[in-house]
Amino acid sequence: MPLPYRNSGSAAPPSSRSGRAVPHAMPLVAMALVVVLLGAFLWLLQRNERDEEALALIKDALWVEQNLHFQLASDEDKLERLAETLGRTEVDLRQFAAMARLVVNTNPAIERVLWLDAQGRTMLAEPPLPRDGTPGADGPPDDSLTRNDAMRIARSSGLRAYGPPYRIDATDRGFDVAFPLFRDGAFVGALVGVFSFEAMLTHHVPWWFAQRYQLEVIDVTGTVLGAKSRMVVPGSMAGPAPDPARSHVIPFDPPGHGLALVATAYPSDSNVTRTVLVAAIFALTGSALWSLWSLRRHIAGRLRAEEALREEHAFRKAMEDSLTVGMRARDLEGRITYVNPAFCRMVGLEPEALVGCGPPMPYWLPEEIDRAEAALQDVLAGRAPETGLEMRFRRANGERFDALIYEAPLIDANGRQTGWMGSVLDITERKHAEELARQQQERLQQTSRLITMGEMASTLAHELNQPLSAIASYCTGCLNRLRSGRFDTDEVAAALEKLAAQAKRAGQVVRRIHDFVRKRDPNVAPCSLAQVLEDCVGLTGADAARLGVRVELDAPADLPPVTGDRILLQQVVLNLMRNGIEAMARTPRGDRRLTVTVRQEGGSDGAGDGVLLTEIRDRGCGVAPDMAERLFSPFFTTKREGMGMGLNICRSIVEHHRGRLWFEPVAADGGPDDASAGTRFLFTLPVHAQPSGRISDQSAEAAE
Amino acid sequence: MTTLHIVDDDEAIRDALGWLFQSRNVPVAGWPSAEAFLEAWRPEMAGCLLLDIRMEGMSGLELFDRLLSRGCRMPVIFLTGHGDVPIAVNALKKGARDFVEKPFNDNELVDRVIDALAFDAEQREREAGQAGLAARLATLTQRERQVMELVVAGRLNKVIADELGISMRTVEVHRSHVFEKMRVKTAVELTRLLTGAA
Repeated sequence: MPLPYRNSGSAAPPSSRSGRAVPHAMPLVAMALVVVLLGAFLWLLQRNERDEEALALIKDALWVEQNLHFQLASDEDKLERLAETLGRTEVDLRQFAAMARLVVNTNPAIERVLWLDAQGRTMLAEPPLPRDGTPGADGPPDDSLTRNDAMRIARSSGLRAYGPPYRIDATDRGFDVAFPLFRDGAFVGALVGVFSFEAMLTHHVPWWFAQRYQLEVIDVTGTVLGAKSRMVVPGSMAGPAPDPARSHVIPFDPPGHGLALVATAYPSDSNVTRTVLVAAIFALTGSALWSLWSLRRHIAGRLRAEEALREEHAFRKAMEDSLTVGMRARDLEGRITYVNPAFCRMVGLEPEALVGCGPPMPYWLPEEIDRAEAALQDVLAGRAPETGLEMRFRRANGERFDALIYEAPLIDANGRQTGWMGSVLDITERKHAEELARQQQERLQQTSRLITMGEMASTLAHELNQPLSAIASYCTGCLNRLRSGRFDTDEVAAALEKLAAQAKRAGQVVRRIHDFVRKRDPNVAPCSLAQVLEDCVGLTGADAARLGVRVELDAPADLPPVTGDRILLQQVVLNLMRNGIEAMARTPRGDRRLTVTVRQEGGSDGAGDGVLLTEIRDRGCGVAPDMAERLFSPFFTTKREGMGMGLNICRSIVEHHRGRLWFEPVAADGGPDDASAGTRFLFTLPVHAQPSGRISDQSAEAAE
Repeated sequence: MTTLHIVDDDEAIRDALGWLFQSRNVPVAGWPSAEAFLEAWRPEMAGCLLLDIRMEGMSGLELFDRLLSRGCRMPVIFLTGHGDVPIAVNALKKGARDFVEKPFNDNELVDRVIDALAFDAEQREREAGQAGLAARLATLTQRERQVMELVVAGRLNKVIADELGISMRTVEVHRSHVFEKMRVKTAVELTRLLTGAA
């Protein structure tokens, strides 16, 4: 849809880029802040949780250590009571063994109970040591040594003593607790309880602890002596490994010897959930950022497109403003939807007065509304001529101009036709130039004819002068002799013969000229005088229009034909019409009217078929009486450029056709005091005689 | 002997004009072209020229120009056809004697030609006279010339003798010699002869 033409510039001021960038950056900054704050919050949360976990770890570790102590103490109490039993009385071995078995069975942490004598020899072992090896064969080589150490310490201190850890069997490690046995103050041996780390941890660390932490007993060198870890459900995948960063070490004393308890926390399930949550949040933030970025890109693209559109629009506008060709768009009903400045200048109307205007348009000529309407219907029906349509339009100030219009269908973005676009060219100048060129051409032709004529006349005069001069000389010479009386008859006769020869020569010159002028015989045939007159009205049309003369032809349709040369008759009528048109140069414009009438006369009174009387009447200046006498004489003319041949030749032609040519002044219609109100030239031509027509046809054919 | 020279390429015209001029006893010579006449022309040729302007080859005007440049002083009458009048007038300004437009009134033409012939004869006579005077003056001696000048000045013999410092008798002898050599009889005649020559 074309934009309606507006005079005032409507281009919006270009917005500054920096001004647009600030609101653009805002969402990005906000988004970044949200991400940062969220990160900070999560980090804080994480840290709190870590702190809490670390605290819980310490508490739990302390608790479990205490629990182990308590259990150890309880087990030691039982062993001490057993040792007291041994110190008090002579012991029944079997009874003691039963007691020892009971202790071992009821206290899972106690692997074995040993009764050693003062020399360290094993008195009793419950459960009994394997028979196939010496004591200590399954332990480390210094098994008895470490045990002896503990025994010695216990003996010297009189208190229980803890031995260093050692391997108690292939898979297990443990340590000894030695209780000195005094009987009546004398050291008689020691009761040793072998404690297994593995068993201790298995039985004295509760499941919930094991679920959350891995608990290990390590020695000074860091070697793991025993461990309790999470129960692994068969068939499921192994859980995550404990986090070495989150562990707590507590010295395991007693039994001492640099042993330590290490509790290491497993990564909690809630951690995973939260990671997923955080990941989801970050993913959302990322997607928000991405959408923001793509939105920004979209907006930038839109802005670019808008800018391009604005530039394109400005360019188009500059282009259409600079056009000298008038552009005019019309919808399918013929109403104007758009005009460009050139068109407005052309018709002298504002765009407001034109847009929305339907037929009849204000610039149509009132007398040509029918033609313009027909042309419009042609255009709307798609029958606009491709070579353009010439029309005459009217400006607002009444001035008229010639326009050349090309029409093209107006197609919208969807490919539908919405109307017609016409380009209008003001061709007044061109038409004027064409008319001028035509006139010049005509004048040139006339001049060239004149020059040819002049040359011919000059040659003719010279050619004729020669024999005529000779004739005159012979003649005068003869006369002189005759008068003088002194002459010889033969001599004079010879001179007269020469004279006659020169006269004949002159005659030949004249004949030659005549032959030259009359190049062809008239082509005589029956022809329609009405047709001849119509042709002539057409041929003089341009001249008549130029001088504003209205030419009226009145010829009955049923005129009989005349015999004659169509071209020659045309020359006669053209000449008379041109004379008439030019005679009206000083007549008021409204009165310039040339009437051509043709009527049949006679024929009813038996005088043949009668004649056709043609009248060519002008409203011109008339013919002055002194001119009237000479009007038909050769080489007489009233025109500056005339040759004085026209009327004379016309009359010759008409007479050659057995007709007559004459003229009559016309009295003024209104008042008789007016000298003349124009002239009428009349000529008659006999009607073509039917019976003899064949003969003249034949003669015409023969002439051809 | 003075003759009318007709230069015209039209034989009929030459013949007819010859017929006409002979009827008035004017001797005529016809020339078929300007070139032929130019060939035959001699400075001593006397008479009058009747020239056609429009001719085959050299035109009458061109012939006129050539003759002028060669010192021909014969009177020239142009015959002009239709449309040649401006050219003929131009020729007149250059010294042509007359022009006659064709077709001409024949006896008037003859009269003009006779006038021209007479003019030519007179002109030649005058020129011949002048040529004689110069020859006669050339025969005078220094003293005779001095005497003659004083005689023409109107001095008496006695005054002349005083002025020249010679005797009356000697002046008279010189005077008679001057008269004899100049072929005059009186001082008046001598004066007229000399002033006419001047």
